[in-house]
Amino acid sequence: MNNYDYLLNNYNRAFSMNDFNMLNQSDLLPKQNMNMPQNSASMNMQNPNFNLYTPQEAYDKGNLFANLYKQYKNYRPATLRANNERERMFLEFSRMAFAAHELNLFLDNYPDNSSMLRLFHDYSNRAEMLKEEYEKKYGPLTVSSSNDTTPFQWVKESWPWEGEF
Amino acid sequence: MWKYEKRLQYPINIKKKDLKMAKVILTQYGGANSELAAALRYLNQRYTMPDNRGKALLTDIGTEELAHIEMICTMVYQLTKDASIEELKAAGLEGSYAEHGLDVYPSNADGVPFTVTYFASTGDPLANLSENMAAEQKARAVYENLIDLATDPDVIEPLLWLRQREIVHFNRFKELYEYYEKEFNMKPQPRQIEN
Repeated sequence: MNNYDYLLNNYNRAFSMNDFNMLNQSDLLPKQNMNMPQNSASMNMQNPNFNLYTPQEAYDKGNLFANLYKQYKNYRPATLRANNERERMFLEFSRMAFAAHELNLFLDNYPDNSSMLRLFHDYSNRAEMLKEEYEKKYGPLTVSSSNDTTPFQWVKESWPWEGEF
Repeated sequence: MWKYEKRLQYPINIKKKDLKMAKVILTQYGGANSELAAALRYLNQRYTMPDNRGKALLTDIGTEELAHIEMICTMVYQLTKDASIEELKAAGLEGSYAEHGLDVYPSNADGVPFTVTYFASTGDPLANLSENMAAEQKARAVYENLIDLATDPDVIEPLLWLRQREIVHFNRFKELYEYYEKEFNMKPQPRQIEN
């Protein structure tokens, strides 16, 4: 993926020792007021206050769940921006796929949560649609989406570690 | 089985060569707290989880770790691409070059190759899940050390992102641990042999 215009936040590289120590163990645990189920009978989490980021913010942060998000020192995540149509479509698919994946992990632990399940289906279907739209214009992301032209599209397109399309 | 998707889970586009940074980031491919150790640990432990929650969570997080291996290898690849012999020597990578050329080989920052003894598997779901929680915390700490060492935003951003994933995974394992502690506070026993 080429030429993302990262809106770089200012990385302040001068840290005091206090900054260094500010991440402690308790910060990594879910906050008590998040109404996490306290016993196995209530593994069904239907809490409307459960705070989720939008797929866009979640993808930038690497975390869909606001109660779990922990910043490191004063490093802020980059805001990913697309420079062209191809990057825009790719980024929208990546965001939606990530949000669906986060809900997948959540639902593994809480399979009876119907509101999260609905959201998972919504994100998952949207990701699938965005993937198909992208592949139609720019080539396969999975081998089964290759078309019947020669040379084999799967081989022709570049690979993810090459940092470009 | 698995299906490959031709994309990184989070984009990486490092434009500046930095062999010393590549050398230390490599540890998250082949070091004790690496993504490779994580993927193998979870995918190895999943078969004997006591219920379908555990089988699902270990499969899905284990699968995500495979995508993280790809991200780490991409970072190392881009940081070392087109390196000259002089640059490799200056970064202390001549030993690595002698063995592996510019291949990305699973080893730690000092070139010690990966070993499966980096992870444990006990047959006890609570012990296994505690191991996984500790592994996520250790990997988070390593990412923080790497972020401290990095100066290029193209490198820092994916490291921050991967660090955040450790935090999410830690909490998912912790939730499952607490659930199992109540539901299955018993070690699954091998079947009795009937005489």
